[in-house]
Amino acid sequence: MLLRLAWRNIWRNQRRSLIILGSIVVGMAIIVFLDALVVAFLNQTFENQIGSHTAHIQINREGFKDNKTVQNYLPATETVEALVRNNPEIAHYSRRIITFGLLNSAYNSSGISFVGVNPEDEQYVTTIKQYIVEGRYFRGDANEIVMSRRTAETLQVGLGDRIVGMASTVDGDIGSEMFRVVGLYQTVSSGFDRMHAYIPLATAQHMLGLGQNVSQFALIASDLDNVPHLRSTLQESLGDKYEVLSYAEIMPLLMTMIDMSQQSMVFIYVIIGIAMIFGIINALLMSIFERIREFGVIMSIGMKNSRIFIMIMFEAVFLGIISIVGGAVIGGGITLQLQNSGMNLAAFSEGLASWGIGAVLYPELSIAVIFRAMFVILCTCLLASIWPAVKAIRLKPVEAMRYV
Amino acid sequence: MEIIKTENLDKVYEDNGIPVQALKNVNFSVRKGDFTVLAGPSGSGKTTLLNLIGALDSPTAGKIFFEENDISKKKPRELSSLRLSKLGFIFQAYNLIPVLTAIENIEFAMMLTGISEKERRQRALDVMEELGIRELADKRPNEMSGGQQQRVAVARAIVNNPMVILADEPTANLDSKTGAVLLDIMERMNKEKNITFVFSSHDPQVIERGKRLVMLHDGMIESEKEQ
Repeated sequence: MLLRLAWRNIWRNQRRSLIILGSIVVGMAIIVFLDALVVAFLNQTFENQIGSHTAHIQINREGFKDNKTVQNYLPATETVEALVRNNPEIAHYSRRIITFGLLNSAYNSSGISFVGVNPEDEQYVTTIKQYIVEGRYFRGDANEIVMSRRTAETLQVGLGDRIVGMASTVDGDIGSEMFRVVGLYQTVSSGFDRMHAYIPLATAQHMLGLGQNVSQFALIASDLDNVPHLRSTLQESLGDKYEVLSYAEIMPLLMTMIDMSQQSMVFIYVIIGIAMIFGIINALLMSIFERIREFGVIMSIGMKNSRIFIMIMFEAVFLGIISIVGGAVIGGGITLQLQNSGMNLAAFSEGLASWGIGAVLYPELSIAVIFRAMFVILCTCLLASIWPAVKAIRLKPVEAMRYV
Repeated sequence: MEIIKTENLDKVYEDNGIPVQALKNVNFSVRKGDFTVLAGPSGSGKTTLLNLIGALDSPTAGKIFFEENDISKKKPRELSSLRLSKLGFIFQAYNLIPVLTAIENIEFAMMLTGISEKERRQRALDVMEELGIRELADKRPNEMSGGQQQRVAVARAIVNNPMVILADEPTANLDSKTGAVLLDIMERMNKEKNITFVFSSHDPQVIERGKRLVMLHDGMIESEKEQ
């Protein structure tokens, strides 16, 4: 009956309730949309970074992370390969050679990070193949090179053109190879595009005098959540001559950004909550002032303060529940629509590209997004009800009944 | 047997910072089965006395005993329990909860005592039948006349079988005919069920029907007589 009474109480003044409901619905819808947008932003940044190069785990020689020279190749490629080949916790792996060098065309030169890969393996680890915008991915010829469109523009070369790659060999000499441009890629990260060019692994080994050695194993774990455990296991097995790094260690800046973004969402929740709370408090206080005599009556009948307090909280919770439904429908509907069509942020594409985000953002609606918004709304409503409820229970029956 | 007894009861209000003596040295008792009327002019202290013996207010000085327990210093929570279990109230302005139907208003008092939904529905219907207001069960207060609302208020007051019902000017907002009907009902409850009633009123027909009349003047009991 207390629930019924609380429910009917909120409809005593329909106009006021509808206005306050409208404001909470808008708040809920904004939270859902913003949260879905931030989730999308973070997920897409994360996935682009993982997918373009980083992978989940990298195995290098100790010190390679800070000194990416050709001399820092893995001490025993076969040992590492034996460890990762049939490991059920590893979905895919790719051997790589990574070294800095120079690309020279007839017109220009550009510093570059050569990434020597075996295309059959690399295509399961990174997504460069999907980012080819002109030409094709590797077909197995020894002198193919895939570079970014941006680098091609710098070098003023196009598909089929020949360029010379140069890098320091393992012995300290200069190694060079002639390459033919077969594909141009364009990822969402302008910084990444400027730095990376892909060549076949065997050609890189030959050019740098590495024999069968490689610089790195890039791994994709079967389960992302298992990465910390897998990293520890591999590090333990390989010993201290190797550095086994998880994506979190490779991209500390990105992980900090993700953490900060999540924290800033909490801040946004609080701001939206504060914006709503005064409206709800005002509506509940008005409702209580209109019922002061009635509170006097129910107190004189014998209704305890705790029940009065709970009844007012129920009223706030009802406001919250109705708003949650309305906000989830409106906010969820808009978000779902944009999740399918994408939000075209071409006007901010350069800025987004520096964060590794494409010009079209797809908000990601999930149950977690809805639950977070629900939590914010319910907490706001409950907090908002405390002051009016305290006001109500501080009334004295006799004075309340005399109230005009 | 005395249910309520006051000893040297004083009540002083502050009105804009000026102390107003509402009751002065009042010694009064309510016995089981009483049909007592507190009468007197406006400002004589009728409602104040009713509020004090109804555990709605606390005295400035003196004591109030309910079934021989001093309630003048009890905590609000204890007074709340006392009101819920032992007292029933009828107000001048009916004071039904506007968003509840008649039967829900009656059930509301029982809900507070924790009676099951099924039982309180049955008991509410029985009381409504007894008071001849069964057909009003699903009506909200704004769909009922003053007399009907006051009968629902009586039903709400008696449904928990209180020891005493305190009625503050119950007929003041009713025409004399409707007031008489209401008094008939309360008189019947008093006779048939031995429910104790204490009224505050200056309505002549209430004063006339009281078995005991207590006259108040300037916060003091001026006279007391059995009728």
